[in-house]
Amino acid sequence: MTALRQAAILVAKDLRIEARSRQTLGLVVVLGVLIVVVLALGLGPGPGAKGAAATAILWVAYLFGGVLVFEKTMAVERYDDALASLLLAPIDRGVIYLAKLVANLALMLALAIVVTPVGIVLFQFDLSAAPLGFVKVMALSIVGFAAVGTLFAAAVSSSRLQGGLLALLVFPLCLPLVLASTQMMIAMFSDTHPQTGGGLVILVAFDVIFLVASWLASELILEP
Amino acid sequence: MGTARRAFGPVYWTITIALLATGLWMSAFYATTESTMGPIQKIFYFHLPVAINTFIACFVVFVASAGYMMQRTAMWDDLAEAAARVAVLLCSVVLLTGMIWGRNAWGHWWTWSPRLTFSLVLWLLYVVYLMVRPSIESSQRRALVSAVYGIVAFLDVPLVYLSVKLLPDIHPSSIRLAPPMQHTLIVWFVAITMLSAGLIVARFRLGRLTRAGARAGAQDAPAHPRLVPLGKHA
Repeated sequence: MTALRQAAILVAKDLRIEARSRQTLGLVVVLGVLIVVVLALGLGPGPGAKGAAATAILWVAYLFGGVLVFEKTMAVERYDDALASLLLAPIDRGVIYLAKLVANLALMLALAIVVTPVGIVLFQFDLSAAPLGFVKVMALSIVGFAAVGTLFAAAVSSSRLQGGLLALLVFPLCLPLVLASTQMMIAMFSDTHPQTGGGLVILVAFDVIFLVASWLASELILEP
Repeated sequence: MGTARRAFGPVYWTITIALLATGLWMSAFYATTESTMGPIQKIFYFHLPVAINTFIACFVVFVASAGYMMQRTAMWDDLAEAAARVAVLLCSVVLLTGMIWGRNAWGHWWTWSPRLTFSLVLWLLYVVYLMVRPSIESSQRRALVSAVYGIVAFLDVPLVYLSVKLLPDIHPSSIRLAPPMQHTLIVWFVAITMLSAGLIVARFRLGRLTRAGARAGAQDAPAHPRLVPLGKHA
């Protein structure tokens, strides 16, 4: 069986569990919407948020929602020693990590599909200047975030303080993503700031470095 | 050999303290006062060496974490923890001295300039390293998670540096120094480097002793400790 087919089976397994249990997605989407609403109310009614504010608020929703997604998808493997059985199977641990990453990305995509329009509507954020640029920046950012999050979800899943720990580990590591994407959004949606390719290079570099590093580290970190 | 080794510590710390005192004296009386900034510029002699040593300590965390991943011996984990503690201490000093400088130079305690932001993110990265460790019960698991985080955090540092460069900068990027200022900076640099290295080694040895003590305690402890009523202790 090729690695690709193994990964496809594992991703399908994770998504099937989610489709049947509906444990994660509903929770995460409601949390994301709640965060956007709380921040919208906290900031008060205004003439419409600038690109940076709307992006930052969406980032907060993605970060907290994402951490919950990573925790939940890894917690599934703890029931009935499922992870131990999975590690006994003749599958490379890197493939297990990649499959978990793809499943997490699918759930993050579902979160983004619901939360992003809510944020755009509530903050009257005009995307028409660069809709594709917005999607590209957010997609690259979410891939990097999920790469780091999936790795550390596997690392801390057996410890006492899973929830707080995962957020604590992942948030500071993802600050370059937040900074680069926010600065890119300011450049894309503002006439006064010149657009540079620096932000895009950082996002791509982050994704490549942490996808490779996490894939390599998953060999060591995945334990029953 | 044993006597020489015992004497090394006091000699090392005496030289370090003497260099720190010399650095202080030189900044106060030998280095000329900078014309624009005035006396507050003298904080720079301390600030820059501490900032450089923060990176060195972070690099030691990275090397020790990589060492642990390759050899899986507790010695590397103790070294990584010791270096992370010193990195956080030094980075806190960088932030504080930078803020004191900023208050006088720009009129604000804090501005989101690239270097200040970089120092803050670096501080957060390594504070998290220290905060997470006690939450993981198994010492092997703790060492493994810490080692992975130590490597990933160090890989993150250049990306943080590049991303903060996207912010507008008001931090001085190059300063021309008169010879007395250069000499003062060199003395401070040697003193702070010796201080950081000494602190890492001291903390590392303490970590080794604590681990050895815990191991000896676990071996000596009786399987069923005898309960002694209060007030009956020998």
